[in-house]
Amino acid sequence: MTFRTKLFWVFTIALLLSVGAIVAGVTIVSRQAFEESNRQHSEALVAQFEDEFQRRGQDVVHRVQGIADAEGTVRMAIELSRPKADVSVYVNDARGVSQSHQLDILDFVASDGAIISSNEWPARFGYKMDWLTQTADWASTGSFLMRVDTQDGPALGLMSVSTVRVGDRDLYILGGERLGKDFLNSLVLPAGMRALLYLDLQPNFDATNLVDTAGPVMDGDRLGPFIEQERQNPVPQTFRISWAASDPSSAEGFHALPLLGRQKELLGVLLIGSSQREVVLLERRIRDLALGAVALGLFFGLMLSWWGAARVTHPVQKLAEGAREVSEGNWSARVNVRGPNEIGQLASAFNRMTTQLGEQREQLVQAERVAAWRELARRLAHELKNPLFPLQTTVENLQRAKDHSPDQFEDVFRESTGILLSEIENLKTIVGRFSDFAKMPQPELGPVQVNDVVRAVVKLFESQLGAVGRPPITPELHLEENLPVIQADATLLRRAIENLVLNAMDAMPAGGVLMLRTTHQDDSIDIEISDTGGGLTPEECDRLFTPYYTTKQHGTGLGLAIVQSVVSDHGGRISVESETGVGTSFHIRLPIKPASPPVAAHPIHQAPDPVPAEPQTAPAPEMSESSESPASEGT
Amino acid sequence: MKLRSYLLLAAISVLLLGAGRAETSRRPRYGGTLRVEIGAVIHSLDPVESTPDPEESAAKDEIGSLLYDQRNPDGSFAGVAGSGAFHIAQWESGKRLTLAANESYRGGRAFVDAIEIEMGRDAKDRLVDLALGTADFAEIPPEEARHAGERGVRVSASKPQELVVLAFTTGRAAGDDVRAREALSRSIDRAAIVNFILQREGEPAGGLLPQWSNGTAFLFPTAADTVGAKELWSQIAGSPPMALGYDSGDSLEQAIAERIAVNVRDAGITLSTEVISQASKYDLRLVRLRIKSSRPRDALAGFVESLGPASGLDIASLPANASAEQIYGRERDTVSTYRVVPLVWLPRVYGLGSRVRDWKSPDAGEGWPLADVWLEQESQ
Repeated sequence: MTFRTKLFWVFTIALLLSVGAIVAGVTIVSRQAFEESNRQHSEALVAQFEDEFQRRGQDVVHRVQGIADAEGTVRMAIELSRPKADVSVYVNDARGVSQSHQLDILDFVASDGAIISSNEWPARFGYKMDWLTQTADWASTGSFLMRVDTQDGPALGLMSVSTVRVGDRDLYILGGERLGKDFLNSLVLPAGMRALLYLDLQPNFDATNLVDTAGPVMDGDRLGPFIEQERQNPVPQTFRISWAASDPSSAEGFHALPLLGRQKELLGVLLIGSSQREVVLLERRIRDLALGAVALGLFFGLMLSWWGAARVTHPVQKLAEGAREVSEGNWSARVNVRGPNEIGQLASAFNRMTTQLGEQREQLVQAERVAAWRELARRLAHELKNPLFPLQTTVENLQRAKDHSPDQFEDVFRESTGILLSEIENLKTIVGRFSDFAKMPQPELGPVQVNDVVRAVVKLFESQLGAVGRPPITPELHLEENLPVIQADATLLRRAIENLVLNAMDAMPAGGVLMLRTTHQDDSIDIEISDTGGGLTPEECDRLFTPYYTTKQHGTGLGLAIVQSVVSDHGGRISVESETGVGTSFHIRLPIKPASPPVAAHPIHQAPDPVPAEPQTAPAPEMSESSESPASEGT
Repeated sequence: MKLRSYLLLAAISVLLLGAGRAETSRRPRYGGTLRVEIGAVIHSLDPVESTPDPEESAAKDEIGSLLYDQRNPDGSFAGVAGSGAFHIAQWESGKRLTLAANESYRGGRAFVDAIEIEMGRDAKDRLVDLALGTADFAEIPPEEARHAGERGVRVSASKPQELVVLAFTTGRAAGDDVRAREALSRSIDRAAIVNFILQREGEPAGGLLPQWSNGTAFLFPTAADTVGAKELWSQIAGSPPMALGYDSGDSLEQAIAERIAVNVRDAGITLSTEVISQASKYDLRLVRLRIKSSRPRDALAGFVESLGPASGLDIASLPANASAEQIYGRERDTVSTYRVVPLVWLPRVYGLGSRVRDWKSPDAGEGWPLADVWLEQESQ
């Protein structure tokens, strides 16, 4: 994952968390506000209901008192006070009076408690209501809730009792309003709210007793547990119910008010329901708006994050690109980042660093070149000085012989010319070697079986390995069978291996084991040539492949340079491992098929350069930190 | 003294003159149109054509007794229409009928020239019309008789001629157990029905025939026995609740049914009331039985005709000249099964206009004696 992507995700997550926190906060706060508003609304409605209930009670009291004060009632009371009064005359009176006074429940009751006339249950005449006669002062009682038996079954009534006293007899007028759907219909409720009435007329919850303005409540069973709870603890309570589990807007909050009778017995429960639909829909709208804002914010946030990440990482990317170029050898790489911030300062520092590194590298190259030319001059001087000295002495002998021994001049001349020719030939050989290195030919690729090349080299040196008069060197071949054929120049490859074998033989003056091993990887083959000589020092290993560098008395310092040149021209790599007193191993890795055409060999004047001027054309040798023994220069 | 004698003579003369005028007013006079209102709607006056509506059937019978002179042994009219005291002058089916006095009626011409019969007037309208004087004659429900009198309507009630009974439906599990039927019968406060619902126009019924018919009605108990009913009911385990059917158009039946429901509840019996319809399934129902004959055996035969064999009343084996004891025995046997539970006897109650004179309530099985009624001339 790139730095830009990471930064983008960090920005995005931070943005998401921020937006999520804001949305959650807004949702929670709005919900709390709605719930508080709803609660206040419900409480206001409950208070309104209680006021309405009281007002209705007063109204019932007034109407019943109105009946008691009516002329007809007084006349009835007078008639009933007479001995052997015929009460049957009044059996149907309650119906008409109740209609005219708009009362659902009306009973005329004689002083003995017997019903004279009943509106809610006309057939119940003659039956006793003893409880009416047991209260002395009905006038101060006011209205009260009562369970009333009607023709259709038990009902809940908001009742009042008035009396008309004639002589020592009372005529009781029991009147009231039936609490049911008509009563609920008369309540003024704001939109979204409703009133339910449960008539607590059976020992167990019966959903048919739960009514609203339209009659029995649908799914009334769902409210059963709350009614039971109210029945066990008849105090005002609140609860919330969700009518459809999958639809939050179906939720409804309820205020439950116990309806108590004169003896504080529970007669019913009034439920003020407040639909949460509007609240839920409002919350949903707010949430949708918030989500829309979140989506929009996220979109722009992501764009901003992407832009910000790009803006922040762009100079870093440039720096990384510059560092990569530097690592690939482009010492002239510069980062074009400006600005007063840390990134700008870092870019400036980077540019200064690469400038300084380039300058130091140039100085190092110059120093290396000077050192190489000095080494070359030293080697040339050394190589040329050896034949020049005999030439000088021979010429001096010739001059001396002509001056002092003319008779022997002929012999001396003959002998001296022979020496001169020999030394001149020697000089030509030396010059030829240098010329050969300078004229390293371009490899001509063809199918080559490396094992065959290795075997041929070993066979070439077989006689020398076991020559009389020198300690024996035992060749060991570990050649992998079925080694694939590679594309290479067989002649150059053989020349390189010969050089390495010669070096190994030179490294083992006391004899030893010469091991040659071939293996192959997926797309390359490895050639290892090891000796059991004295090994090399790390410093020697570092300069081993430098042209004209040698540790031998008669070496030109070109052998391993030629080997490296051949390996490089084949697209391969060479490395050396050496341990003092144990031996040295050269590892060559050649591609089965060179990826690119062989590059031209270095001109001789560039060979001493230990730091390649063109890194892509000549892989740098890999050398271990340990070991080294003087490597032979076979040519 | 002389002056006193003159004054006394004058007073006597005035009194005699007033008495003469009073005698003149009691003397029947011919003429006038008697305005009759009935609740039934008669669609046909053909006596052969039967109708399922008992009210229409009864009204046809009453009118038939004015049109026909004779009856067959089975009670149907004989001869031709118009052979009776009146003949049809105008006929609007289902609305109005005008009868004109038959001048050549062998029993003598009716006092009134015509009778206008307006059909389809409900009881409340009939009472109002009687009170306002726009109707001269109408039959009114017994339970309204008291109020009609209070409104100034002249009321004439016959002897009990109608029996209200509870008839159990056969094949219903609720009424299978005789103890259940007896418990129900004993729990009913018949006196309260008479006193309150019928406003004292009627009598509690324990047997099938009224006291005037066979003279044995007093032998049947009518008092409520709630304790006994409760005890009986408690002996029946798991008896299903009962449904009592009543005629939707009969407010009296409805009131009686609702009262019975209250009474039986005291005995622990669960009884609901419902209007009789084709879809309703009731275990027992209220039936009003008109006594069609003053002869006890024939009256019982009429009950059998109305109730059917399910009543358990065996009349066929009863001789035509059965004694009162035999009839009582048969009556008792029937009542003791409690398949038919007598409740109350009802009189036939008539409202009369102020100008109607010489009205006599008909006996059981007799039609309205309107031919004998005459109308007093209204003072100008």
